[in-house]
Amino acid sequence: MSIFFRRLPKFNYVKPEKFSDALDILRENKDGRFRVYAGGTDVIPKIKERVMPAPETLVDLKGISQLNYISHDEANGLRIGALASIHDVSQAPVVREKYPMLAQAAASIASTQVQNRGTIAGNICNAVPSADSAPALLCLGGKALCEGKEGERMIDLEEFFLGPGSTVLGDDELLKEIQIPSAKGKGVYIKLSPRSRMDLAVVGVAVFADVEDGIFKDVRIGLGAVAPTPMRAKTSENRLTGESVGDQVIEEAAAMAAEEAKPIDDHRASAKYRRMMVEVLVKRAIGQIISH
Amino acid sequence: MEDYSVIGKRIPRIDGLAKVTGEAKYAADYEMPGMLWCKIARSPHAHAKILNIDTSRAESLPGVKKVLTGKDFKGWKWGWMPKTREEEPLAAETVRYLGEAVAAVAAIDEDTAEEAAQLIEVEYEELPGVFDPEEAMKEGAPQLYGHAKNNISWDFHMDFGDVEKGFKEADLVHEDRFETGRVITGYLEPPAAVAMYDSSGITIWAAKQSPYFVYRHLAACFGLPLSKVRVIQPFIGGGFGGTKNDSLAGDFCSVLFSKLLGKPVKFVYTMEEVLMTCRRRHNMIVFNKMGMKKDGTITGMHSRVIADGGAHTAIGPLTMYLTGCMSTLPYKLPNFKHDAYRIYTNNPIGAAMRGHGVTHTRFAAELQMEMMAEELGIDPVAVRLKNAISAPYETINKVTVKSCGLVEGIETIADNPVWKNRKEKKQEGPIAHGVGMSATSYLGGARQRGHQSCAAVIRLCEDGSVDYLTGASDCGQGSDTVLVQMVAEELGLAMEDVDIKRVDTAMTPCDAGSYGSRVTVLAGEAARKAAQDVKQQLAVFAAEKWEAKPEDILFKDRQVSVKGQPEKTMPFEQLAKIACYSGSGAVILGRGYSDYGIDVLDFEKGIGNCGTSYSFTSQLTEVDVDLETGFLKCTDMLIAHDCGVPLNPINVEAQNQGAAMQGMGQAMYEAFKMDHGKTLNPTLLDYKMPLATDIPNIEVVDIITEDPDGPYGAKEASEGAIVSVPPSIFTAVHDATGIWFKEQPLTPEKIAMALREKKKNG
Amino acid sequence: MEMKTIKFVINGVKQELRIPPWRTLLEVIREDLKLTGAKEGCGQGECGSCTVIMGGKSVNSCLVPAMEADGQEITTIEGLKNGEELHPIQEAFVEHAGMQCGFCTPGMIMSAKHLLDHNSDPTLEEIQEGVSGNFCRCTGYTKIFESIDAAAKSMKGGR
Repeated sequence: MSIFFRRLPKFNYVKPEKFSDALDILRENKDGRFRVYAGGTDVIPKIKERVMPAPETLVDLKGISQLNYISHDEANGLRIGALASIHDVSQAPVVREKYPMLAQAAASIASTQVQNRGTIAGNICNAVPSADSAPALLCLGGKALCEGKEGERMIDLEEFFLGPGSTVLGDDELLKEIQIPSAKGKGVYIKLSPRSRMDLAVVGVAVFADVEDGIFKDVRIGLGAVAPTPMRAKTSENRLTGESVGDQVIEEAAAMAAEEAKPIDDHRASAKYRRMMVEVLVKRAIGQIISH
Repeated sequence: MEDYSVIGKRIPRIDGLAKVTGEAKYAADYEMPGMLWCKIARSPHAHAKILNIDTSRAESLPGVKKVLTGKDFKGWKWGWMPKTREEEPLAAETVRYLGEAVAAVAAIDEDTAEEAAQLIEVEYEELPGVFDPEEAMKEGAPQLYGHAKNNISWDFHMDFGDVEKGFKEADLVHEDRFETGRVITGYLEPPAAVAMYDSSGITIWAAKQSPYFVYRHLAACFGLPLSKVRVIQPFIGGGFGGTKNDSLAGDFCSVLFSKLLGKPVKFVYTMEEVLMTCRRRHNMIVFNKMGMKKDGTITGMHSRVIADGGAHTAIGPLTMYLTGCMSTLPYKLPNFKHDAYRIYTNNPIGAAMRGHGVTHTRFAAELQMEMMAEELGIDPVAVRLKNAISAPYETINKVTVKSCGLVEGIETIADNPVWKNRKEKKQEGPIAHGVGMSATSYLGGARQRGHQSCAAVIRLCEDGSVDYLTGASDCGQGSDTVLVQMVAEELGLAMEDVDIKRVDTAMTPCDAGSYGSRVTVLAGEAARKAAQDVKQQLAVFAAEKWEAKPEDILFKDRQVSVKGQPEKTMPFEQLAKIACYSGSGAVILGRGYSDYGIDVLDFEKGIGNCGTSYSFTSQLTEVDVDLETGFLKCTDMLIAHDCGVPLNPINVEAQNQGAAMQGMGQAMYEAFKMDHGKTLNPTLLDYKMPLATDIPNIEVVDIITEDPDGPYGAKEASEGAIVSVPPSIFTAVHDATGIWFKEQPLTPEKIAMALREKKKNG
Repeated sequence: MEMKTIKFVINGVKQELRIPPWRTLLEVIREDLKLTGAKEGCGQGECGSCTVIMGGKSVNSCLVPAMEADGQEITTIEGLKNGEELHPIQEAFVEHAGMQCGFCTPGMIMSAKHLLDHNSDPTLEEIQEGVSGNFCRCTGYTKIFESIDAAAKSMKGGR
């Protein structure tokens, strides 16, 4: 039967106040018995729609107030706690100053109401291919500090995503913190979506580059919504690294990025168009960086 | 124009206070003690036979009171016309679209009702479906109904003059295919109702923009006299035609549950349910053929329209009628032939939406006219002025226009600096700027078959305030405010002296509803007449007191006086007391009903006036097109709108701005993506209605004409603007890109692909 | 499953409720507290009709588990009036035709309030951004922008 649900299914709710308590709850977690959430802007609608099975218990992480932080120092770079909201990340002076691409990407997510509730960690853990923060974080060399019953581990975000909605995080694991090393260079995130707000990226392109004396020193290209997971376009990056800035090499690299993308046809756009747009946007993003 | 006290003024909405405080109650805000909740279970198949329904698991869930299936309605069906009664409250034997209602649960709360609905087990035998109207018309296509050969749900054929002769006289003849897109009204309030069936009959608080439709449907379905059906209207969270002009599975099921269980029953649909299963605008394919002379004169037009009607006929015959009968406006058309086919498919049902029917064929004709003018080297303004009608005018199918601001509207656009300077090509980087225009017409005071008049009753209170009862529905358009303005103006009262109650079919006079831009024109006429009736009754008392003639008694600024004798004056309140206390006490009750335009309408041949009067909208639109990504941004609109006399200019502006945005959504953003009858994007995230950040600067200019068949000279406002928006955006995009696009919506992908193709072909 | 107790302050009034843990904040506000100003449009956090302010932030109350309200301060559209006196934003919406059907209005006004609470002098672009999480299908938004602009001016003492 086709039923359109207005109500949430039945579940219990707990709100641990300590990180260790949350880990204890998750120790025996499997088959989605416990479902953790921070902002809930993704999990709640999915549970309501019955796209995600109802958990026995919903675990609200917002009680663990020590996870709500954005901190920075030159040695370690930026650290974003699991509970830092999208809004806070987009507005934090340190993010705007040192990682403007991430602020840009965060500000492009959904709406004010969603940004007030949702978290960057959640945007990553949901692992939708179009997650706006992902291409930027990939470019910035972001890492996820996770902890489960086996202890802590650091996962490179490039290794984090497995497919749409799927990550390497175990049922017992939590993402504690996103770390972004300091790096020299400029970054740009360009999101292509029909509406300017409350919309998903048809294609999202993040480019981070360090250009010195007219030479591309360090180039990183992150792509969203053009593969089962957010991805880096490494062939394209390699084509540019070490080269002198010039139209032809940029064009070639942009074409390579389009080649590397693995988009699909869906109701939002065709694969062909997405590929075309990767080329256009990579070129545009690099253009914006070098014209700066 | 006369010097009015409240007419023509920028008067704030009378429901504003209730709406900004959260006080205004909508259907879903109502609840009653002991109330049960109804949930609808729907078909997961687009076309299937129902073999068996097992409700036992659902019924045994604690809290469940009853489960209904199609059989419980004993074969009762409804439809817009006697011969189109084909829709069942719950499908009994066959489902014809995905999401068609097949069963319903009543339970003590909504959680239980939803849980139980999942437990209903239906055995289906899937049938081959047909989803494309052109395919559905072919021999051998799956048939939705035995009686409808080639799946033709309705067809119209109109033939005026000699269209072949017209094409022979032309220097250029074009044939093009246009497509208008799958869009929906997009109101934010999902349908809801609370229904009660008791010894007094049916009482239902339902979100309906035409409450007297559901009133008749419920009376027929439950075999009750109309006097036993009471539809009470809450505030309505937007209508725009279609779903809220009709009845729903939820309405019938709630009432039947209430009848069987003796409790009030409530249902609320979800937005996804609305986007997936409710009525939407017909997608139409328009094959248009037009002939034009070298000087731009249109010599003839033949339109062949194929509409995706979906699974039932609903109001479709009227839609198809409007695609043709309005094609002869706003340009002179000496020869016209129209063949319209509404085709059944296993898609959700096509029905009315703001700009009903007219938007489809006008989009095609307006673009084609400009395409041909371009080929002939004629300026867009010149070709329009060459063919524009002016009042008085009778079209070849006997549509009579008594007031017309078309030429003035087109000239307003032509005189605008943006239009004058449009040849200076503006391109910055990949962004090309384009300027386009359109000029269109829409009917106001729609007429259809059957009861179509509006009525008003005004009861005078002894303190000089009045109660105004109307069956007309304000579903957001502001009609309550404008109607009260009319009553106040006639009686010489202030806005706050006049109280309007929302529709209650047990109290208010019957009315056809809010569609076809009929409320201001027809309910307005009724309101005015009722107020005049009150005035006449009161004037007798004043005349007697002052020994004057009743026709010399004047009502203005809460005072009553005798013409030419300023010393004879008294407050309205005093006269009210004199009248109400006369003899042993009197009742002053004014009544009025509309009778504009009751001339003959030949619905079969497309002859005569489908409206009381006609609005004319000329529009200038500016766009930015990203030539690399195809992204389109509409930056500015100028709408020169002839609504006769704007009775409340701020509301006319607001209506036009809203229509402009809705038209822009249809032209650029919105479209249902379908896969074998399944809607792939039934969410507001993916069905892309415009947001605050997508809105152009929208300027509205009133072109004032006074129509003799409208209260205070008024005509319709804003259905015209939804018709003018898409062609003006498309001509602007052509200006920016050199490409004539012919299908809505104009998505970035379509633009980017076409630009690439153009580049490839040099 | 057991009922749980939550305590919070809504529109300045202390509340203590026993609720099942799967209730949303919107359901509790509308059904338990009978404050039906906040509306459910989509129930999926897309339309903004259910916007309320919780802990100083605008949220889609249809996506907030009501359990989270515990210990919070919440303002709904019903909490804006000061006695019989309208809030300047409400006043501006009436005067400048900032609403038509009115269904989006409570959420729209709460988003406007959130905006003006953080930015007393917004530009047109900031106003557009500020309400970009709220759909309106009637007005074409133009009169909403004008209303918010007028409210901002009136709140600063101007007109």
